[in-house]
Amino acid sequence: MREFLLAFADDEHLMGQQHTEWIGVAPFLEEDLAFSSIGQDELGHAAMLYELVLELNGLETSDPAISDPAIDKLAFGRSSSDYRSCHLVEYSTRHWSEALVRHWIYDTFEELRWRLLIDSTMTPLASVTSKALREEAFHRRHANALLDKLLEAPEARARIAAALKVIAPMVPGLCEPVAGEAEALAEGVTTGSIADLLEPLTEAANRRFAQLIDCGLVTTGFIGGGIIGGSQTDANSSDTNPQDYSHASSGRTQRSEFFDPLMTRMREVLDYDPTAVW
Amino acid sequence: MARSWETMQEFEAFLNEGGLVEANDDMPDPYRQAVFTFIEMHANSELMGGLTERDWIPKTPGLRHKMAVLAKTQDEIGHGHLLYMVAADLGIKTRTQMLEDLFAGRSRFHNVFHYRAVTWGDQVAIAFLVDAAALLSQQAVFKNCSYGPYKRILRRIIAEEGFHMRLGEDRMMRIAEGTPRQRQMFQESLNRWFWPALQLFGPDSKPDDVLLRWHIKSERNEVLRDRWVQKFVPMLTGYGFTVPASELRWDDETRRWDVGPIDWAPLERTLAQGGPDSTRRIAEAADNWQRTAWVRAALSDGSDTASNGVDHASHMAAAAPV
Repeated sequence: MREFLLAFADDEHLMGQQHTEWIGVAPFLEEDLAFSSIGQDELGHAAMLYELVLELNGLETSDPAISDPAIDKLAFGRSSSDYRSCHLVEYSTRHWSEALVRHWIYDTFEELRWRLLIDSTMTPLASVTSKALREEAFHRRHANALLDKLLEAPEARARIAAALKVIAPMVPGLCEPVAGEAEALAEGVTTGSIADLLEPLTEAANRRFAQLIDCGLVTTGFIGGGIIGGSQTDANSSDTNPQDYSHASSGRTQRSEFFDPLMTRMREVLDYDPTAVW
Repeated sequence: MARSWETMQEFEAFLNEGGLVEANDDMPDPYRQAVFTFIEMHANSELMGGLTERDWIPKTPGLRHKMAVLAKTQDEIGHGHLLYMVAADLGIKTRTQMLEDLFAGRSRFHNVFHYRAVTWGDQVAIAFLVDAAALLSQQAVFKNCSYGPYKRILRRIIAEEGFHMRLGEDRMMRIAEGTPRQRQMFQESLNRWFWPALQLFGPDSKPDDVLLRWHIKSERNEVLRDRWVQKFVPMLTGYGFTVPASELRWDDETRRWDVGPIDWAPLERTLAQGGPDSTRRIAEAADNWQRTAWVRAALSDGSDTASNGVDHASHMAAAAPV
């Protein structure tokens, strides 16, 4: 059960962390505000999920003086092989277009993922879920409102297509369950496997990015099928795309090349003085 | 309904009686310009402050701690957002023009944000010393501000800044009661940030300062600066830190701390965009603005949404001269 909860907590933690990187450098102030707000929500979900892990171990989490350091130990203090994040959230985006595409894909998936937990036999998890679902509705509305407009404009469309080429291959990994999911299914902690979310997510993406398919910038099934062709030049063509993160089928036990630098950055202050309280 | 004044004397009498000017009033142009420049600098400073802090946000030690820091940053950027709207309503520049001037180094922001936060201790020093200095200034403006829209926004900003200062104070206390390495880190931050924070108040106000005469500001720079010194010097020394002022002394007669002579050259340099981190800060902001231009272009519907699409310039041109 620990591994099942950690996979979700780690995704939420790293996704929230990634949003913090875009604050102050978004295209306009309203977007800075949106990313800081959404980042807070995701980190909040992570904290609640880590708390459930701690409760499995019998820790009383009602006192923040006890639970906060324990949460931080889980969030920042494990060996990299113990993390169960997907590569999509480990990836350091280079363009705001990538951050936006990832935001839409992640939050669309996240909503489906929470829905599997709404009837969880683990009561505290079910109550965290109803709170999270209320917030997710806002996250999705935000990403959709932007994409509605941006996909109408030719230059923006090309940039979003280029971003999709980078992000889409990481999507199967997002839907990859950990080994511990079987136990969660057997005990009714979750009512479905996240592997089964790849199909509805792909369908949603095909609808969302239909304009890109129509103009030949990407092909149908681009999410399930890895890298997508498209005849036009890459709008972010100065980039070398990162290695292919298509489905590794490792049960989320492998970290991407982005994980260690990310964790080092996150731990910089903690490592400055391991005995300190900040 | 828009009001107008026949003469500057009449306008000043209105201000002296505690009158509040509203955006659609036919205010005298010099007043409009002075209020605008003041609010534009405040807005720019909220934004640049966010950029100064953003280097360290991803490194915030602790998950819930990071959430608190994000909430603070969200407030700061939100303040900038509100202030740009209030400034744009004065009809001198749109928000886009203000941002472009800022990124081209043509407009000003507070001296402290021309420096770089090089350690986490700097981040705490900013939240503690700089936010407190800004709060003192804002409280003084709010008390007697003659421009209605600004005064109303300041009420909200001040309430939120109070929370930020307490967050900064709480973090400073953890460090003060922490390990020798933590204390050493914060002492070094104090050495870097004490003087810039103090210089934020500016040199002594001139006798003919129009900001005072028109009740845009209500207290003289030196009064505010002294209030900050009397609060922070004993607090910092009380926690065992050294205030980096070689001529610091307690004046038994006036019962006050005196920090000695203040070198204003560093402040002057920041005003000329020549501070230690001005070039990088402005260049990075400009580069980023340029890199995301495609988003704004795609979302633009022809009107400048940044100023709600309202063309205040024509209103201004029609304003009767006073």
